Amino acid sequence: MSATESTKGSATPAPLERRGRPSHEGGTVLAAGEPIVWLLAGGLGLAVVMISGLLALILVNGAATFWPGPIDEVRLVDGTVHLGERSRTDRFRPGEDALAALPEASRAAAAAAVEAGDGYASRRLIRTANFDLTGSHFTWVDDFSIEPDGVTQPEWAVAVERLEWGRFYGFPERAELGDETVAEGPEASWRWYEAEHSKVRRLWRERRSLETHEIGAVNRVLEQARLRLREQEFRDGVPPEWVAAWSDLQRTKQGGDEAAIAEMQAKLDAIEAAGFTPPESFREAVRRYEAEERESNREFAAVRERIAALNEEMGRYRILFRTIDGTEKAIPLAEIVRATPQNRLGLGGKVSTYLSRWAEFLLDDPRESNSEGGVFPAIFGTVAMTLIMTLMVVPFGVLAALYLREYAKAGPLITAVRIAVNNLAGVPSIVFGVFGLGFFCYVLGGSIDAVFFSAKLPNPTYGKGGLVWASLTLALLTLPVVIVATEEALAAVPRSMREGSYACGASKWQTIRRIVLPRALPGIMTGAILAMARGAGEVAPLMLVGAVKLAPELPVDGVFPFVHPDRSFMHLGFHIYDLGFQSQNSEAAKPMVFTTTLLLIALVALLNLMAIWLRARLRRRFAGSQF
Amino acid sequence: MSEPTFTGWVRRRTTSVRVKVADAVAKTLITTAGISTILAVVGMCVFLVAVAVPLFLPGSVTPRSGAPALLDPDGDPPIHIALDEHETIGFAVFADGEAMVFDAASGRELERRRLFGDDTPTAMSFAPTGGDAIFGFADGTLRYGSLGFEPEFVEPSQIEPEYRSLTVGESRSRGEGIVQRTPTGSFRTQRFVAKLSDPVRISNASIHAVDLSMLSSGPILAAVDAERVFHVKAVTIIRNLMTRKETIRATGGSMELPAEIAGGRLPDHCLLEGRADSAILVWDSGRALRLDTRDRVEPKVAERFGLLDADGATITSIGFMIGKTTLLVGDSDGRLQTWFRIRPSDETDAAKLVDGSRLVLAHRLPGDSGVAVTSLASSSRTRMIAAGFADGSSRLYYVTNDRLLSECPPQDGQRGAISAIALSPKDDGLLTASRDGLFRWGIDVPHPQTTLGSIFGKVWYEGYEKPEHVWQSSSGTDEFEPKFGLVPLIFGSIKATFYAMLFGTPLAILAAIYTSEYLHPKTRARIKPAIEIMASLPSVVLGFLAALVFAPLVERAVPAILSAFIAVPFAVLVGAHLWQFVPTARATRLAAWRVPLAMLFAIAGVAAGFAAGPWLERLLFGGDIMGWLAWKPTSAGAQDSPFESPVGGWVLLLLPVASIAAWWIVSLAMGGHRRDAIARLGRGAAATAQAAKFLGGTGICLGITFGVAWALSAMGFDPRGGVVDTYVQRNALIVGFLMGFAVIPIIYTIAEDALSSVPEHLRSASLGLGATPWQTALRIVVPTAMSGIFSAVMVGLGRAVGETMIVLMAAGNTPIMQWNVFNGFRTLSANIAVELPEAVQHSTEYRMLFLAGLSLFVLTFLVNTMAEAVRQRFRKRAVAL
Repeated sequence: MSATESTKGSATPAPLERRGRPSHEGGTVLAAGEPIVWLLAGGLGLAVVMISGLLALILVNGAATFWPGPIDEVRLVDGTVHLGERSRTDRFRPGEDALAALPEASRAAAAAAVEAGDGYASRRLIRTANFDLTGSHFTWVDDFSIEPDGVTQPEWAVAVERLEWGRFYGFPERAELGDETVAEGPEASWRWYEAEHSKVRRLWRERRSLETHEIGAVNRVLEQARLRLREQEFRDGVPPEWVAAWSDLQRTKQGGDEAAIAEMQAKLDAIEAAGFTPPESFREAVRRYEAEERESNREFAAVRERIAALNEEMGRYRILFRTIDGTEKAIPLAEIVRATPQNRLGLGGKVSTYLSRWAEFLLDDPRESNSEGGVFPAIFGTVAMTLIMTLMVVPFGVLAALYLREYAKAGPLITAVRIAVNNLAGVPSIVFGVFGLGFFCYVLGGSIDAVFFSAKLPNPTYGKGGLVWASLTLALLTLPVVIVATEEALAAVPRSMREGSYACGASKWQTIRRIVLPRALPGIMTGAILAMARGAGEVAPLMLVGAVKLAPELPVDGVFPFVHPDRSFMHLGFHIYDLGFQSQNSEAAKPMVFTTTLLLIALVALLNLMAIWLRARLRRRFAGSQF
Repeated sequence: MSEPTFTGWVRRRTTSVRVKVADAVAKTLITTAGISTILAVVGMCVFLVAVAVPLFLPGSVTPRSGAPALLDPDGDPPIHIALDEHETIGFAVFADGEAMVFDAASGRELERRRLFGDDTPTAMSFAPTGGDAIFGFADGTLRYGSLGFEPEFVEPSQIEPEYRSLTVGESRSRGEGIVQRTPTGSFRTQRFVAKLSDPVRISNASIHAVDLSMLSSGPILAAVDAERVFHVKAVTIIRNLMTRKETIRATGGSMELPAEIAGGRLPDHCLLEGRADSAILVWDSGRALRLDTRDRVEPKVAERFGLLDADGATITSIGFMIGKTTLLVGDSDGRLQTWFRIRPSDETDAAKLVDGSRLVLAHRLPGDSGVAVTSLASSSRTRMIAAGFADGSSRLYYVTNDRLLSECPPQDGQRGAISAIALSPKDDGLLTASRDGLFRWGIDVPHPQTTLGSIFGKVWYEGYEKPEHVWQSSSGTDEFEPKFGLVPLIFGSIKATFYAMLFGTPLAILAAIYTSEYLHPKTRARIKPAIEIMASLPSVVLGFLAALVFAPLVERAVPAILSAFIAVPFAVLVGAHLWQFVPTARATRLAAWRVPLAMLFAIAGVAAGFAAGPWLERLLFGGDIMGWLAWKPTSAGAQDSPFESPVGGWVLLLLPVASIAAWWIVSLAMGGHRRDAIARLGRGAAATAQAAKFLGGTGICLGITFGVAWALSAMGFDPRGGVVDTYVQRNALIVGFLMGFAVIPIIYTIAEDALSSVPEHLRSASLGLGATPWQTALRIVVPTAMSGIFSAVMVGLGRAVGETMIVLMAAGNTPIMQWNVFNGFRTLSANIAVELPEAVQHSTEYRMLFLAGLSLFVLTFLVNTMAEAVRQRFRKRAVAL
């Protein structure tokens, strides 16, 4: 565009002057319309600044979350002391009572400070943590109520990230192994902690693996046996009276009360005597089930024994902390995810803590109702859902586009279809969610359940939100993106190439496969990646068709059949919504939301950039191959 | 066959079968897959329609097969009947205090007993739900309690052998009850149980009319005796710890009815409202008297009124609906009306009323039959009612939307007037009684409360002051009626869209024009994709920022942000006028720096806005904008508060309008020969003249603003209650701002495409004739690309209407209908996201949410199609140029 140069051309008045006519520079000023042009420029500038500001906000906040800042000890004039990390500061208008609450001596200085701030004063939000002791995570401290030089950074203040109750700030006091004290004083205790922590955590991980995998496996075997029995019950038409009495008997057997068991057995016998008897085939199945149950119970007991042994071993390692108000708190080492004496760290130590927190965030499971720990299941769920969606949407999108562009006879109908497909891209995503829930989950899933999983009913297997339905819903949502991109790519293949191919005697399909598709590939790939980017960032429909706050099991794991498309899953976008909006303690969750947001944006931007890069690369590759 | 060729290669003349087959297979595959993919998309729309349509289908009522229970043809027909929830057993109560229990399937009588031995009640009343009943006797005593069914589970081993052959779910009579084999392995016997209290003496005269309400503290009884004395009593049961004997104590007061009312006759009906704070006495002539019984020791007359407006008619049936709040009145002409109490929100009006409320005629049910209404029954779960008529016919109504659901003509052998009518507890069966017997009907009306009128029109719900648009789908109590009015949600969607577009459209279009007309191609190639990537920024991110970052920030700096909105464009214009002083040569060289410079001034504008915020707050809003916004003329101490003056609000609202007016006035005043005079000046002088014009315009603008604001305020108009009102943290301002981020990239991209595709030769021609880039842009490019820009706005609109996550997180989600920019709303899309996960499949709410989804689908589809059509036309025109 040559707009800027032409400004120069039209504004240069030289030729006019040469003819001896008066200068009309004033006319140029009017005609250039600078005020409005500046408004246009301002509009563009604002749009760019706002958008980049938004990204910068997320980037800064998201990246800063895990940085180990200083732990402040804040002494107030009224004698209270707080220990914690400063979360943020702001300005507020202190009321009369806030000043009146101060001790006499410092009131005047505080009032002067407020006066100097034109009625406003600053305050800071301190993350004091220790929720189990104090009942709050944060405390607001008015800056004017802080003693002069009341903010210090004690060397041995330690930030403890725990499995439960959130963070803990305190000073290490004593280390205990079993009943004996093995170290006294902060330094010795800390050395002991550093030496022992990783060992105890190994034990803890072992226990967690036992709890999730071994016990899970036993439960699954038992569940399978129960389902088989239930299927047999349906097949044999067992009287419900017998089943009810038999289930009562089984439940009583768990309790182990001999008299009650005998009573239940008598009841079952009475029911059989009354003529409500199951067929022999079912009795056989019951005997099999009982054998399997005994076996499972034995395995279960063995695993539990191992867990108990681990618990006992881990429980011996404890470290005692003193909080700022003097309370002592013993924390078992197994409960500590990470403890950092943040004020003692050099830059290297800070960076390593920072990276270790990022690693935990990316690779670990969430804890404390998602406000701490990692987001690995959410990353996994997002990626799995996006991949399955792409696998579904690309073939169908490409086939539909091929049909529209290559096979269908052009006419008003096809034009209408094309416009409709185009407009589908503008239909709100929540509408797709509504359709997905109503059709995929309830109608399709419900039918699958009725045919294949009737023994589990009324508990739905496929008749609820799940990975496969979420992927299908998003595939439908992104279908127009792929169709439109593919169509454009197909249309861009020059007619001359097709004609050349036909002239060489190639059939239509040969032409499409050998000539058209390879040239259209960049466009198709771009469409697919844009669809992925759109799908990965979409949340509204997922709320309806399968994204959940916390999914205990990943949709892909080591259990046959390894892929479980019926399972609900976690999703980064939904995680943001849930954490920021549904969380009990949104202030504490906010840093995590920023980090998750950063991750999601990075993922979406990466996919978009990949599309742009791929388009450029493939375009270059095919640039020379046209006639 | 083959001839020798020049190369010596033998060419096959036929296409190989493999190629042919591959071609055919590919064609079939692509065609079927392509068509079915497109059909799947169509199927989506069809499915949404299919789920939503049953909302509007009429239901059906069909006679249930099975012999009717025959009653003694010479005796009186029953006055009250009921069915159990499984519709296996029922009972009928006769005026003489006798109860008959019957097998609902066969109609066979199972048991007949006198409830009070030899006593015959003189008055009785049955609650619409729950089976509570009360009976009055000639000796001035009352007996209250409940009539209903109780299940008894029989051990399967104990059940008599003849029942062992029952299939699961089948039922059969057993003694005085009905036994059913349940799928959970037990035999359930339903029996009729009457639990009645000992007599409670409240008067010495015979009881004439009676009613009770069960409160959590105990029953409240109301009765009128033969001496025209009204009694209201709270019953407490005292258990003697020593003797374990229970004594019933009734405490309360009584009141003699005014002698003049209804010619001294006794009232025919006594009706006590559900919360026992008001009782209504009704004479068959239509006279009615409402008593305030909040103070049970001293009841007093609250209001007198007539229930019927037609002469000659008499009340033939009356009763409460579920919750005992709405009164159903049926008269001898077959008309049905419902009345309930409202509390006028106007305080002066309410002060005139004895208990602050008034009984009003809310609904007249349609379809006069001309035959007297002889009995009424209310559903125990919805606002459905059944009415029986003197000719043996009956009808089903849904009260809230005035809908006649079904008419049931008399069944074979049914001739007499219907003396009692009952709806089954699950609303799927109807039972009518006349002297010819008992007749059963099956009801299938899955969605009685939804009609087009009730979804999109105003509906008068129980307890509301007037008909209103309401969406409220769930609540804690059983008596709650779900309210499905889509209008508040549609309003929310429109409000969100409006504010988002108000903010996003100008910015996006300004930016697009500058990009296409002034930006260097290289810069443009970088900026455009960057803004395009923003279009794929997940909206949940924007929602989170809106709700948790911006909402708390904005709340603390409202005046600063409002003044920044004005200061930023002002500062940019100031910059432009200063720029005009720069000599031409340098200005041309620096043209590329226009955006950064404009940004500099914009930032200065933001800073100025924030600095001026507190000052503005003091000047215009009495020092506290929150207090100013929340001020109400009716609140206490309102008259002397610093927030009384509405001038500030008017200034804020008028400023944009006034600036346009000022600009128009200035250009009008400075047009013609004055403009030519400026054009003849030198550059510096012309720039000074322009600056003077700008300052003059600013002055005019301020003058108009304050003048009109003062005038409007003096006339008593107040913007509060309209587009500005009480501030709520999550509000339309926040949503508009953040949703602007979502629509700006879309509008920008499409508008920029349209502007760029204006043929280059048009621009060249214009510039060649000596027009400046600005003149070219304004006169040539923008008009040519107008339809493209329009379609960009439409597409942005489509996106804003359906946006879910931002509004879900930042709009507060209260379905209210106010334009106030400082409070929240609930949109169609957010409503779906909130409620659909909990909605039961196929319930009315579920289908309503599908209807909401369908409306969104249709709405956005139409908007987008229109945009597409405009764009197609534009493309054709652009090609033709």
